[in-house]
Amino acid sequence: MAAALHNHRTWQNLVDNLVFLVPLLFFVILLYATLAWTFYVSFTDWKTVTANYQFTGVKWYQFLVAQPRFWVDVQNNLKWLILGVGPTVVVAILLAYLLELSPFPAVESYIRTLILYPVAMSFIVTGTIWSWMYEPQRGVFKTLLQAVGIKSQLSFTTDPDLATYWLILIFVWQYLGFAVIILQSSFRTTELQEMVEAATVDGASKLRILVSVIVPNIRSGILVLVSLLLISTLKVFDIVYIVTFGGPGIQTDVLALNMWITFFQQHLVSAGAGLGIIIFAMAFIIVVPYTIYALRKWFE
Amino acid sequence: MKSKSRTLKLLVFLVLILLSFAYLLPIYVMGTTSVKSIDEITTGNYLIPTGNPQFGNYREVLFGSSRFRSNMVPRLLNSTIISFSSTILSVFIGGLGGYYLSRTRSTFAKVLFVLVGIALYLPYQAVIIPLVILMAKTRLALTYWGMILSYLILNIPLASVLMGTFFLSVPRELEEAAEVDGASKVQRFFMVVSPISLPAYASVAIIIFTQVWNEFFLALTLSSPKTQTVQVVMAEAKGTTIVVYNLQMAAALITVAVPLAFFLILGRYFIRGILAGALKG
Repeated sequence: MAAALHNHRTWQNLVDNLVFLVPLLFFVILLYATLAWTFYVSFTDWKTVTANYQFTGVKWYQFLVAQPRFWVDVQNNLKWLILGVGPTVVVAILLAYLLELSPFPAVESYIRTLILYPVAMSFIVTGTIWSWMYEPQRGVFKTLLQAVGIKSQLSFTTDPDLATYWLILIFVWQYLGFAVIILQSSFRTTELQEMVEAATVDGASKLRILVSVIVPNIRSGILVLVSLLLISTLKVFDIVYIVTFGGPGIQTDVLALNMWITFFQQHLVSAGAGLGIIIFAMAFIIVVPYTIYALRKWFE
Repeated sequence: MKSKSRTLKLLVFLVLILLSFAYLLPIYVMGTTSVKSIDEITTGNYLIPTGNPQFGNYREVLFGSSRFRSNMVPRLLNSTIISFSSTILSVFIGGLGGYYLSRTRSTFAKVLFVLVGIALYLPYQAVIIPLVILMAKTRLALTYWGMILSYLILNIPLASVLMGTFFLSVPRELEEAAEVDGASKVQRFFMVVSPISLPAYASVAIIIFTQVWNEFFLALTLSSPKTQTVQVVMAEAKGTTIVVYNLQMAAALITVAVPLAFFLILGRYFIRGILAGALKG
């Protein structure tokens, strides 16, 4: 009887695992198998349309780092990482705080919806609209500046020195609402509200409360937000593809676009795989602290 | 945290105007330009709305014309089929996987969680080459299934974590009561946990749907003429040498209409989904 019950239990356990675990496990294994496959391809000598799995070691990595283009990409990716994330987070903190302080609930919900709608839009659509705003001869910004009597020399994304910065501005515009939403939810814990009230009673100024009470207490929210933004800026492809396609010249090129051109247009498959692995390695460094934090929170 | 100071009110007012301008202008420009004639665009002021709206622009974009060859209707259909299928399957499998991750405390579950966590925001560049090879080898490349399968591989980790975040907040007492009544884990999941998690399913579905609908890199690389998505047509329309801004803007509005409608109608679920992604389910 006991043995039968035990068997029933094991059988039940097996069914449970089969139902809940196996589908997820199947796709996770598939995902890591493709990742491993990319890794393997990056060490082979595949440079035409036809597959060639002959092992050549780090040859294509050497090829990549010997190209000036690779270092232009790295520089641009760093600009994206720093300027796409830093200003977004700072502006979002100030804005979220202002919305919390605002005595007008209607204004708060209006602004939230207003700045959040770009989250539903694709970079392809945003990029198309912003190309129109940035158009250097008669674009929307040029027209606006002329209307208020300013004759500017700005040429936006056609300016070789500044083009990347104008592209990053599109990203900041698109992600600001996303950042505010995440920070607002961090503000709204009972402990933090009580601390803010205590500080207010003590006569601390609004700015003082933000810097010494709020920011230190929403560290985990900021960590998550920074990780999510870093990953998004690292993966940036669509905006560059649609607005400048890496131009003028290769001034706005990024690793992800280089990867696509190398693989898809030049059929240097092994070199493309190498770039894919380099992008993954950078993403990995960003994702690890986030994953450890998530793991602790999940299994606490 | 409300405040009544006068400077603050002024500041709120200024920010209100500034943000309204920054976030309404692009939409305004997209809307007005989409109904202008090309003459009006080349000669007139970009910011002034037209007195003679050309709604025919939308017909051209939807059904094709000599100026816009890639008619949008079949592409809208492609995007709809691919996004809906990927979403339903991701959310279903993600629900099962998320339940496993949220109810199992073993070392194996922790290892799996880390693997899933790293896969959450995987750059697609790291897996695209094998996906192209696989799709070509299995001849799935020319069918919807090739793209759906690829999107499943890339979205199931996210769906699992998002669903799991919601399941963590489902009170255990409900399941314990069902367990006492002799319900198995599978029965508990389908009869108790899933029904009360329907809002969570809606949130995750909206997030995944928007992500797949808006996805470009994979669509650009994997889609064949028969499975081309709206984002790829948009990019093509912008890349052509004859720049027909009005048709581009009409196409942009059509492309964005579906996810934007979800956002405006189901905004609450949308926000809950975003917050779950930030581990605040």
